[in-house]
Amino acid sequence: MRMMPLQKREIAKRVFAYELSKSTYMTSESGDRMPKYVLTPTGARCNRVFFVGVLLDKEEVRPDSNFWRIRISDPTGVITGFIGRYQADALESLLEIQPPELIAVVAKLNIFEGETRSFISLRPEAISVVDSETRDFWVVETARRTVERLKNMLDDCDEDCQLAKEVYNTDVEEYLQTVKNALLAIKEEVEVFSDLDKTEAVSETELVDEAKVTKKVTEVEVQEEDISDIEPDIDLDDFEFEEEEWDLSDLLEEEE
Amino acid sequence: MEKLIEVELILHLKRGDCDMTENPTKKDEVIDRLTDQILSRFKKMGHDVDPKEVSKRLKLLIYEFKVPEDEAIRTVTNYLIKELDIAREDLFSRESPLKNISDLSKSGEWVSLKAKVVQLWDTESPNVSQVGLIGDSTGIIKFVVWAKARKPEVEEGKSYIFKNVVTDSFGGRLQVNINRNSEIIEIDEDISLPPREIEIVGSLVAIQQGSGLIQRCPECHRALKKGLCATHGKVEGYDDLRVKGVIDDGLNCYDVILNEENIKYLTEIGLEEARKIATETLDRESVLSELKNRLLGRYFRIIGSRGERYLIVREIDFLKRDVIKETNDILAEIQSMLG
Repeated sequence: MRMMPLQKREIAKRVFAYELSKSTYMTSESGDRMPKYVLTPTGARCNRVFFVGVLLDKEEVRPDSNFWRIRISDPTGVITGFIGRYQADALESLLEIQPPELIAVVAKLNIFEGETRSFISLRPEAISVVDSETRDFWVVETARRTVERLKNMLDDCDEDCQLAKEVYNTDVEEYLQTVKNALLAIKEEVEVFSDLDKTEAVSETELVDEAKVTKKVTEVEVQEEDISDIEPDIDLDDFEFEEEEWDLSDLLEEEE
Repeated sequence: MEKLIEVELILHLKRGDCDMTENPTKKDEVIDRLTDQILSRFKKMGHDVDPKEVSKRLKLLIYEFKVPEDEAIRTVTNYLIKELDIAREDLFSRESPLKNISDLSKSGEWVSLKAKVVQLWDTESPNVSQVGLIGDSTGIIKFVVWAKARKPEVEEGKSYIFKNVVTDSFGGRLQVNINRNSEIIEIDEDISLPPREIEIVGSLVAIQQGSGLIQRCPECHRALKKGLCATHGKVEGYDDLRVKGVIDDGLNCYDVILNEENIKYLTEIGLEEARKIATETLDRESVLSELKNRLLGRYFRIIGSRGERYLIVREIDFLKRDVIKETNDILAEIQSMLG
């Protein structure tokens, strides 16, 4: 029998897109086998995240490359993900899904160091279509975890939290407002739906549903401009070149 | 076993070895210590032995005849056994003490356990006949029955006395090994497991290999891999449905196994429905895809107890929560923090 140190599975952290997209710091612990962690502005140390949001679009980075770029939105913002053939399970699911659609994503994190800015992306391990209830639970849960981290920042700051403060100079109030807005968005929707349920106005529900989707997409388009600021910095040409050289190990490598 | 206890005793005594100087008080100390050692052993059996007699014999053997300490102890002990007319087996009891699982703390301890088989796992090594979890009211521990032990197989859910098993540490965790010297006796008693059940609310973040419509070995009930059983080779397997997955609540993660009953309750896909899907699509894997579609990324509430590796699920359901109420609670908290 081979003695193998039991490596504990990394917990999937709950972080809103707004906070994730502002995360630029990656821990660099010695040793190749050490897992890498992204430290977020509120001090969450993430190797893996669980995220629920709307799949806005998916596109193949180059035709027939089987390497896809996706964008997912929660009530606070948008985050990008890359899926290659090494994420076989996620890829298989993605090909079946037509955006816009609510999805749950379990993903590892990558940070590309651009010339002027860093850019975070998800490397999904698993993708599945979920209902709006799951999304609501996720927003509530993520809100709770984020508030816990922010509380920690105000009270007894632990090591990660201290480091996050130094790296990001985190504005606690800014993040509290983000969480608050996310909760209000959910609450509004749940209330609208429960009212509609009472009147049993089925056709109206569908209308509202559609309106919601369009509303969401427009919201997202506003935020997209933020992202497009960053895009030139990733230097997609470089990026593709690297892929041909098989040097995207970080991004494509199968999780050990 | 008898030998083992003696060796242990000797080792114990050896540790206390002191330099044999001619100092008479040092000599007395050694004799006193060894005398106590022997006396306490007989006292446990309910025999009061005269310490003077023991000391005298020890002194004679060790200092007059220069017999090694361990030999001297054995000789005196044997003498007393004959003198008191007690059975050797009673003193060097052939049975290790009956212990609670929660009392086990170090490896290399010989014990007997009265426990129920909680779970049987798939074994990967041909040296292992069975592996899984046993539990009593105080705890749950991994057990390994070595193939060389040649013991009859135990069954999940049945209770046994595991006589003369030895604790061992593997991968930093304590387990008990059942070897040739051990004995497994089925008992007609339902050992209750630890009442400490936990409730987990989290999402299913992974469904692992070996899930879906699987096949099990008709002899040992373990899952077949590519139609082969690890022990029995090529067999005509029978169908079963299971999900091996990970539930993650953002703070901890738990390995869980859902059985057919759990899966049917959640998805309305039972064994029969699964077979139908497999037949219609001509692909057993499509059952797994379907289960993934219905379960992956969803939130669950689970009540179960912690095993060594897997959470033993007693109750599972999709999460139901009053989102409005929870939202209001957190909003109130945020408001108080914003001041």
